[in-house]
Amino acid sequence: MFFAAALDLPSKGPPALGISWPDVALSFFAILMEGAPFLLLGAIISGLVDVFLPAGLIKDWLPRSKAQGVFAAMGAGIIFPLCECGAMPIVQRLIRKGVPPAVSLTYMLAAPALNPLAMFSTYLAFRNQDPWLMILLRFLFSAVVLVFLGFWFVRLRPEQMLRADFLMGGKRTDQTPNPTLVLTPRAGASWGGLQQFTGSVIRDFTGVLLFLIIGAAAAAIFSTGFNRNLLAPIGQNILLGPLAGILLAQLLCLCSTTDAFIIAAFTPFSLPAKLAFLVAGPLIDLKLYWLYRSAFKPSLVHGLWLRALGATLVVILLYSFRP
Amino acid sequence: MTDRLQRQLLFLAPAIVMSAWATVMLHTLLAGHINRLLSPMFRSYVGIAGGALLVLSALYLMLYQANAARVASTWRQLGRWLVLLLPLLAAAALSPAGLSSATASLRSTSTAGVAALPQMSTAGVTDALDTDPNLPAPMQVTDLITVSHTPAMIKKFDGRAVHVIGLFSAGDSPKLMRWIMWCCAADAQPATVKMAGSLGGPWKDQQWLDVTGIARFPSTMGQPIPEIDVTAVKPTDEPDEPFLSP
Repeated sequence: MFFAAALDLPSKGPPALGISWPDVALSFFAILMEGAPFLLLGAIISGLVDVFLPAGLIKDWLPRSKAQGVFAAMGAGIIFPLCECGAMPIVQRLIRKGVPPAVSLTYMLAAPALNPLAMFSTYLAFRNQDPWLMILLRFLFSAVVLVFLGFWFVRLRPEQMLRADFLMGGKRTDQTPNPTLVLTPRAGASWGGLQQFTGSVIRDFTGVLLFLIIGAAAAAIFSTGFNRNLLAPIGQNILLGPLAGILLAQLLCLCSTTDAFIIAAFTPFSLPAKLAFLVAGPLIDLKLYWLYRSAFKPSLVHGLWLRALGATLVVILLYSFRP
Repeated sequence: MTDRLQRQLLFLAPAIVMSAWATVMLHTLLAGHINRLLSPMFRSYVGIAGGALLVLSALYLMLYQANAARVASTWRQLGRWLVLLLPLLAAAALSPAGLSSATASLRSTSTAGVAALPQMSTAGVTDALDTDPNLPAPMQVTDLITVSHTPAMIKKFDGRAVHVIGLFSAGDSPKLMRWIMWCCAADAQPATVKMAGSLGGPWKDQQWLDVTGIARFPSTMGQPIPEIDVTAVKPTDEPDEPFLSP
């Protein structure tokens, strides 16, 4: 009633969680159809890395210092941008090839967050609302949060980050987080490279697919059932507005290349609230939480969630309270 | 015999799951159901991924074979493969043709229903300006909203006969609605234009209507709100593109 009055909405408006289950099914199906091709693309790239990129070569390319590796990973996120779903199999493969988990994780977060396509879509979405300022602030704040997270990752040991089944594989490239798949090469088939590539792609795709399904289900339920207007009354508040932006990003689970279009239209939100939405969303949300769980320990994912959202909030509040 | 069957089933499971995903993807694309799921930019990817999954399934069967050794907890492992399959099949079977008015209420981000949309492509507005002024200009709901953002455009279209297709939205006051899809149906947002005058009917909520009327832009709290003063309404079929994409 309070929110309805604040918004001048009809008092018999929709309830906060009035879920239409057929609509949830449609949204779920749509997210699967959108995400699965990119997941497959990520698995294919991962398969190519497995077959054609020797582990030693990757190590030669990497800076010796892990801290420098964090900045290199952020640069790679700009030069080799990927969507959130596609990055997951590639990151898992890079770790198996010997890339330090801290560097791989930073790349996993940077690829969607600093993605040039995301910046371009931000320009288009905000073209009537000071687009260059929005791009600059989105990029800058995302980079600051990524540096903070990257240096946290550097301090962690691999066994504090990776799932036990992932660690068991060590640096062997034939191990995956997909224990269901036992690949036995056909007797007499001498297709070495193709066989390795096929097995690698199938393992990575089916290994992460389960987590995409769980994440898509969570995203479909909240994006369909949550009344967005409930956050409107606090969207202009200097303290609560950014929190509302972060919360909305967690529930809607949008891709970094389209999130700007949605939030640009959300007039009840202040600019800092919109920025909080754009910075926090590509780093972690309900869908990504499950995708990250496919390779990383729950404690790491929970820590990442807390730190990513906390750092976003601090950066946005510093901007809001600037002299 | 049971053991051998279990091993064969476990071997075939990845190929079955990938082929099923490929079949659903290709069927969704070829049957046109993709139009209510994804924006045009992403549709071709579904076809490519469907084809790639079929190729992968064939390669898997060619290059690998069933494990000769007995596999522990076979049924549990088969259950895991089913988890990759059943949600997809259920979603494909249970998905309705469009989103409901309940979801439209929850996803709407403005009481006016117009101010919350960013500026869309102006191509439709430009085309409408080029049409014969003696005939109703074919426009989309979003074109009228775009016009309402610019005083100069309002001058050109205020009082102009227009022809608009959209979903009937009953609510407190009758509106004509279209869903705008940025990426997929999960992020679709409703865009509405008020309808005034004699609407005829009765019309069902979320029924597709072909509306002809006069465009008006009355000011509410200092903001021009597009409105159609209806002169004729008739039911129509769902358009090929039920969702609009920017």
